[in-house]
Amino acid sequence: MATVTVNSLTFTYPQRQRPVLDDLSVTFPGGKFSLLTGVSGGGKSTLLRLIAGLTPLPAPNTIRFDGETLSEIAPGKRAATVAMLFQEPSTQFTMDTVVNELRFALENQRVDPAAMPAKIDTALDFIGITNLKDRSLMALSGGEQQKVALAIIVAMDSDVILLDEPFASIDPPTRLTLLQKLVALCTQRGKTIILADHDLSGYDQWVDHLAVLDSGKVTLLSADQTKQRFAAFTPEQLRLTHVTQPSSELTVCLQGDQLGIAQGKRQLIQPQDLSFFAHQATLITGPNGSGKSTLFRALVRLGKYQGNLTYAGTNIQKLSRKRYAREVGLMFQSATAQFLNVTVTEELDLSRRFGNADYFTAARVQDLLTQLNLADHAEQVIYSLSSGQQKKLQLLCMLIMAPDVLLLDEPLKGLDFASIKVVMHILTTVQRDLNLTLIMVSHQLSGLDDLITLHLHLDQQHLTYEGAAE
Amino acid sequence: MNPSLKLALIVFIALEVSFAQVWTVNVVLIIVSLILMLANHVSFKRLLYLTLVPLFFSSTLVWSLSLRGSASPHFLLVIFTRLFVYVYMGGLFTQTTDPLMLTRSLEQNAKLPSKFAYGFLAAFNLMPKIKAEVATIKAAAMMRGQVLHFWSPQLYFKVILAAMNWSDQLAAAMTSHGFIEGAPRTHAMTISLVARDWWFFGGALLLVQIGLFCGLP
Repeated sequence: MATVTVNSLTFTYPQRQRPVLDDLSVTFPGGKFSLLTGVSGGGKSTLLRLIAGLTPLPAPNTIRFDGETLSEIAPGKRAATVAMLFQEPSTQFTMDTVVNELRFALENQRVDPAAMPAKIDTALDFIGITNLKDRSLMALSGGEQQKVALAIIVAMDSDVILLDEPFASIDPPTRLTLLQKLVALCTQRGKTIILADHDLSGYDQWVDHLAVLDSGKVTLLSADQTKQRFAAFTPEQLRLTHVTQPSSELTVCLQGDQLGIAQGKRQLIQPQDLSFFAHQATLITGPNGSGKSTLFRALVRLGKYQGNLTYAGTNIQKLSRKRYAREVGLMFQSATAQFLNVTVTEELDLSRRFGNADYFTAARVQDLLTQLNLADHAEQVIYSLSSGQQKKLQLLCMLIMAPDVLLLDEPLKGLDFASIKVVMHILTTVQRDLNLTLIMVSHQLSGLDDLITLHLHLDQQHLTYEGAAE
Repeated sequence: MNPSLKLALIVFIALEVSFAQVWTVNVVLIIVSLILMLANHVSFKRLLYLTLVPLFFSSTLVWSLSLRGSASPHFLLVIFTRLFVYVYMGGLFTQTTDPLMLTRSLEQNAKLPSKFAYGFLAAFNLMPKIKAEVATIKAAAMMRGQVLHFWSPQLYFKVILAAMNWSDQLAAAMTSHGFIEGAPRTHAMTISLVARDWWFFGGALLLVQIGLFCGLP
């Protein structure tokens, strides 16, 4: 049981003026489950990485575990003091298989080789994944990888467990299992748990304390305040008033015949006939990790699929890659995957050279940049923009390309409320003016009502159009 | 055989073969590597690949050298077989050595700093990821109207950016699982380095020396 004390911690990223954590002081009580919340991009990850010792502290002695700083703790004992579970499941392993990764972690802790097999088996058994022991890590699903990562923390017997949006890409049943294991670690083994999440739904019965990170400072709410806060929180509701069942008059642009999607050996979408309609804005919703992004990658020929996919009546495998890429474009979930140049201007010029420059005149692009608050950043290097600014630039680049079908994978991810309004306004205007086909995956549900006309919901490995018949 | 010693043996022999001009030794090395690969159940497809690629390069090399006219047939034969020696011995090593065992052996037997040993392993595990990344970059470029070829500098710029990102992620992953540079570790598996390994190493080297000595004019 270790208490984590943060004492007047200020942290500024290089080349930024405003500190992301500003004279922050907070105490996370030992043996309790604390939920750290705040807007995305508000510094939750930064704080957790500083506590975990993954980012060097700007000033010594600002973070202590039961009064000791991490550098005072013997190297072999540090992982037993604090460990972290990352947001992106696949990025937290060094070795090839589950058992090798567990061995690697135990070797680092200087555990006697003879004691390793028992520790490994106990940890796997506690999380309930003994069957995954010899599996290759890269062949596991995101949820399974998070379970393995937690099993490693259990094997290392870390006192403080940090989790950075651990459920961002995993499905609800896995989330529930993991939460139950975490609560058991907290109550039965006295572990201190700090979990960062911007979505408060589904935590009320598990969490002792809510810590709110706002403009660089953390406020730790008491048990009563936490209860009130949970009671007041209502998850965002999806309100779509223009959505109907697709009518027979609509033109089909992409047609899947017995289209199925699998990831490794796991079937994500069962083979089904599926049509996407031209000149409509379609929203796809469904649980995390259910296969929405994988479907998008298949639609742009970056991933495998079962069955047949036709675009305007032709099998997409028979179309030239170059031509197809210009007609069906994808806005990737990760903004940096989209960029090919160094500065903002270069990136926009590239889009205008090959895209729809008749509509996106220099004046219009300048106006859009101003609306998106990017006009002052024209000569800036893209990779030094904040993630929200990158997201907005990425969207603009893909809109200028104006492909007939534009797939948008989480286009609003990490944007603040004001930016979402601007982005949705721009998207709606451009879609109407150019008669584009938009297919969008979004977890951000507010502000979509004006744009969306069709709604596909993915549930139980099946996609269905929602809404009443017209 | 112990992986580190096997690596050392192959590097030694390759070095010697580069300086000596004895084609008979080259042929013996090729035959021995081939027999060992067959004994270790290396697939036929892999063997074919390991044969056709050097065949192409050594044939063109020998052809262009013979056109110049100054090289003796003996020299051409040495050059031709030498390329096969490199490829076959390299193939024998990679096809019969588990990367994790090599890593553990480099760390335990060769006393390489664990940072390097695991860095090597991570780079090896990164290969499929790099392939996927290249496909994504090419697709992203095509959606913007640009076709990137394997010689396009933009492709390398993006891959290097991605690799830098991965190296940060990997460092964080290793740290969060308790890895600390320079700190002592225990070993879940001990890679043995026994007298037999040394005898084999010495014996093989000796045989090559005898062969080279006899074959020298």
